[in-house]
Amino acid sequence: MKATIFSLFIAILIISGAFYIVGKSEVPSTAANVTIEDGKQVIDLRVKGGYSPKITQAKANIPTTLKLKTNNTFDCSASVVIPDLNYQTFLPSSGATKVELPPQAPGTTLRGLCSMGMFGFTVHFN
Amino acid sequence: MEKHIFHIKGLHCTSCVLLTEQELKEQQGVIKVVPSLSTHKVEVTGNFDGEGREEVMRRLSAALEPHGYSLSEDKEDYSIVWRDFTFALPIAAIFIAFFVLLQKIGLINFVTMSQMSLSTVFVIGLIASVSSCMAVVGGLLFSLSASFAKSGEKIRPQMYFHLGRLLSFFILGGVIGILGASFKLTPLMSSILSIGIALILLILGINLLNVSENMRRLQPTFPKKFGLFVFRLKKYNYTLTPFLVGVATFFLPCGFTQSMQLYALSTGSFISGALVMLVFALGTFPVLSLVSFSALTIRKKSLSGVFFKTAGLIVIFFAIINLASSLAALGLINPLFMF
Repeated sequence: MKATIFSLFIAILIISGAFYIVGKSEVPSTAANVTIEDGKQVIDLRVKGGYSPKITQAKANIPTTLKLKTNNTFDCSASVVIPDLNYQTFLPSSGATKVELPPQAPGTTLRGLCSMGMFGFTVHFN
Repeated sequence: MEKHIFHIKGLHCTSCVLLTEQELKEQQGVIKVVPSLSTHKVEVTGNFDGEGREEVMRRLSAALEPHGYSLSEDKEDYSIVWRDFTFALPIAAIFIAFFVLLQKIGLINFVTMSQMSLSTVFVIGLIASVSSCMAVVGGLLFSLSASFAKSGEKIRPQMYFHLGRLLSFFILGGVIGILGASFKLTPLMSSILSIGIALILLILGINLLNVSENMRRLQPTFPKKFGLFVFRLKKYNYTLTPFLVGVATFFLPCGFTQSMQLYALSTGSFISGALVMLVFALGTFPVLSLVSFSALTIRKKSLSGVFFKTAGLIVIFFAIINLASSLAALGLINPLFMF
């Protein structure tokens, strides 16, 4: 019984270690993928084997276009769901798909996922 | 007339109850058989002509053994369970950690061909077979193989599974090639389907752990009438069930499968659509066949406990991941896991 608790401890350590390594690279992007054209904000996201950047800082109170770019994307990330907007679509395997967003209040967090839920992206509006 | 009550090992389901009842009734001297699923005991009444209790038990037990059950004087022993976990936990953890890191590498990013060809489709199939959505197919297949292996059927059910899978991918791939868009599952439908499958996987995983009698009752049991129907079908059960599960994997929600179906749909012809889906299924075949046959390789009884517990833990892990993911995709909870 003692040995079992010990091995349970080791197991938790190994799994959380793996998730730590996976989560570590989630550095919030600077505005590199956010551009402003004609008073409109455009957020570029690369869609392939997940979404990058995973976290985007964007401006609030401004009409925003989410541009989802696919390039030979054949995995789940092509099937995009944005629960808060009730938006779902299956992106073409190569191309760019625009999602128009109304101006967002400061402090809003918009979350998108693939339909199976294992990939996701987050946009913070400030 | 004598009456004996024995403990019965391996009695898990309503159809098992029917099977033991039928089998024992055919034995010499037996008049009445009352097996109980909840107490794991069987009450046998009959004329045993001076045969001792010990002999009766041995004779009846021998008759049940081909079906994977046995009779004994003692309750099924669960004490070794915890020792198995000592090994199963770290092994499962290493496997899960390896899998999580594998997702991180982003294998799919290596597919950079600008044009789709059947060889690209095959590579996508290979990559898909180690992805988290295929883990669902793998988990189903493993649980199926393990339960058939326990009841003595080894190779055949798995061959029927793979046959069903390959055939349905070929034929249904061709069908969507012709029919086009009308065929697709909506995201809501696929979310509900994934939640259902995640729950089934969770129950199967718990059963693989084989921890306690109480947990066994969680097992999906069919009403007795349906059980009788299944029992009559038993002859076909080893072929039909795995075959149908194989066919059904075409509809399991998985991003890779869906984008291949979308591609098959865009080809607009039966044969191209069929080939795309078949080649994709062939790409997933090496890993899936490894999964199915790994359930058979374990013969040594002392190791099988550790093996099935490891597998149970892994299946439960994938069930939870899938459950959390589908709930997140429906917007009901915040995502727990993200690759």
